[in-house]
Amino acid sequence: MAREFQRGHKARLSDLTAGTDLYVGVRIDAPGVTFDISCFGLDAEERLSDDRYFIFYNQPKSPEESIQQLGEQAGDTESFRVTLDLVPEAVRHLSFTATIDGDGQMSQVGPGYIRIVAGGEEVVRYPFTGAEFSTERAVMLGDIYYKNAWRFAAVGQGFDGGLDALLQNFGGEVLEDEEPEPEPAAQPAAPPAFAPPSGPPPVFAPPPGAAAPAPPAPQQQTPPPPPQQPTPAPQPAQAPAAPLPHHAAPTLAAGLAVPGQGGHQPVTPGPPQPPPSAPTAGHAPQVPHAPQAPPAPSFGGSFAAPASGGFAPPAAPGPTAPPGAHTPPVAGQQPGYGVPQAGGQGLAVTLEKYREAPNGQRWTQQNAQLVRVDLGVDGQPVLAKQGSMVLYQGKAEFGYKGAGIRGRIVGNATGQEMQLMRCSGSGQVFFAEEAAYVHPLELQGDAICVSAENVLAFDESLQYEVRRIEGHGIPGGALFTMQFHGTGTIIVKTRGTPVVLPVTPSTYADAQAVIAWSAAAQVIVSSQVRLRRQAYPGHSGESVNLQFRGAPGNFIVVQPYEV
Amino acid sequence: MHQQSIAGFAPSPPAARMECHGSSMLKVAMATGQDLFARTGSMVAYEGFVQYEPNPPAIRRMASQWLTGEGAPLMRCHGDGLLYLADYGADVVVLHLSEDSLSVNGTNILAFDAHLDWGVERVKGMAKFAGQGLFNVAISGTGWVALTSRGTPVVVDCGRGEDETYVDPDALVAWSSGLKMKGKRSFKASSMIGRGSGEAYQLGFSGQGFVVVQPSEDSADRLRARG
Repeated sequence: MAREFQRGHKARLSDLTAGTDLYVGVRIDAPGVTFDISCFGLDAEERLSDDRYFIFYNQPKSPEESIQQLGEQAGDTESFRVTLDLVPEAVRHLSFTATIDGDGQMSQVGPGYIRIVAGGEEVVRYPFTGAEFSTERAVMLGDIYYKNAWRFAAVGQGFDGGLDALLQNFGGEVLEDEEPEPEPAAQPAAPPAFAPPSGPPPVFAPPPGAAAPAPPAPQQQTPPPPPQQPTPAPQPAQAPAAPLPHHAAPTLAAGLAVPGQGGHQPVTPGPPQPPPSAPTAGHAPQVPHAPQAPPAPSFGGSFAAPASGGFAPPAAPGPTAPPGAHTPPVAGQQPGYGVPQAGGQGLAVTLEKYREAPNGQRWTQQNAQLVRVDLGVDGQPVLAKQGSMVLYQGKAEFGYKGAGIRGRIVGNATGQEMQLMRCSGSGQVFFAEEAAYVHPLELQGDAICVSAENVLAFDESLQYEVRRIEGHGIPGGALFTMQFHGTGTIIVKTRGTPVVLPVTPSTYADAQAVIAWSAAAQVIVSSQVRLRRQAYPGHSGESVNLQFRGAPGNFIVVQPYEV
Repeated sequence: MHQQSIAGFAPSPPAARMECHGSSMLKVAMATGQDLFARTGSMVAYEGFVQYEPNPPAIRRMASQWLTGEGAPLMRCHGDGLLYLADYGADVVVLHLSEDSLSVNGTNILAFDAHLDWGVERVKGMAKFAGQGLFNVAISGTGWVALTSRGTPVVVDCGRGEDETYVDPDALVAWSSGLKMKGKRSFKASSMIGRGSGEAYQLGFSGQGFVVVQPSEDSADRLRARG
């Protein structure tokens, strides 16, 4: 079972897990606030001496991929994969931070955590809540750092400024970010500033005009066009010495160069980037694809010479292919050719993002459409819709769950009938149905009304009954819904991304699209329905608008699909 | 006409042989000599000069066991250009095999490099459910493969515990070839798993490897249904 850390706790990672391939998950959210979660790879002095190790949304991995940002998954707002064995000597301190993007402050944050998962098991977790913070706009959540051995520390320290202040704190420098304009790259220094620190790939220095698309180029294996050699004067000596101001620029600019936004255009007018002079048999840049002039050569390349560096997709590394991925000297990775069999990383890597979420809780959301229950956690059975199991591991048993005679009569009469099965035993079961989105709702003594066909699974500890909503204009005289109450989790499924609306004095919903509401809200059949019906000719006239009333704190859930 | 809002959907220049455009469209950079097998009817757009050869003799031989015997619903694409493929909005998963091998459920395959070794297999022990058309394509070698999945799939390791992993055949997308597989039927009359028909069966996997499962039990072959 995972160890739970308090703020300030530290431990050697080897005491927590034998693994060095770690998954670091961060959960942090607050209503209406978005967060940027980043990882700073610092040196022994806790300075960001190499900004290729600043892993954030624009640079999702470090050059040798020892640190990768994986995105939202498995209940985590953001996740990283850290392969400690691959982390270079220069990086000794990984600081995981969350910063608010836009307005907001840390005290609004709900319960969150940072956790480390190794070998499919959560090994440590540091939970926090907004109550620990006040008006901070950033927080350093946890550190993985090297002191004789790799260690983990739960930091939980707030920070007043935003991401840029944090970056400055670590000795980084922020250029005008956010705007995909070419200036930042060109501005900070003379053109030669693009020399990559590690030097080996031949450098070419674009004139300022070609700034935006150029940064990726030096990291590609593309042999530099000879005519440009004179300009570079890359001063390899200078680059490593003062890498920051310059390097911040290429990374930001590269990441922001969105395709189709003109980011690539400069390539064409820029320096006469001749298609590589390398041995490209049969390589014929195809003019017809003029709008995409730079990538065009990739069509024409012959398969026979894929390893020759013959393809030059100069502008290719857009957001999809972060420049780091193409750094040839590192780790023997395939260089970023346009067409050929490059970029392939084998099955294990490509499937990594679909990996099973780590164990731990009873209910785990694997992704937007899949939920997993670990029956072993408290041995309590789960009731689920028949046929919703897609996979199970372990000794789970599935049995028919009858509704009873009375239940069946009520169910038949009201249409609120659930075909259920009971899952018991131990093991993990995945539930899903027709790729509908699943939403676990945790009830703690409160109640919720859900339409029976939107229930995917729920803990057996919950009680449920059919509730009747009366009103004029409803076909059949009344509407029925399922009311669940008690303590436990219910999984509700929706078609498409639902909207959760707070109940206000004027909250209306289509009776066919509303799927759940908190049971304390009062439902009234809206009289506006008749007006509405006339307003939309051709409407079947069978739908009913429901009005909800209730104290603040009540909500309704509406899906973008009318059953 | 304002095209600002829709301009964001322009394709990015190709950086690899196969890439996703959005979540449910596959973009393949075609080049002479690098042929591709794709599901018949999956092409939604192409740029450049790409030709299609539905059901060429070579495929017919390779796929002689394709369950319905009508020949494989695959076409061979060749030429230069960019090819866009999709399967009725299903999510696309792009995989790169490097000396790996993989079995893919026949309805979940979208495209693969023609130079990969492949063959059509019938799922053992599932002959009883012939109506389901459960066949799979075994692919091995080094190259690119694109699968479709209704919803975001999950990859589950089988070798983790001593217990077997049981999968609803309708939700199964792919599995690593090394796994042992057996059909499992629940004989309890009261058992009601799977499609509500009262027919309860799952596929059990054991050994070292993984299975890929989609969050939907809808295995209908839309491309084929269209004809």
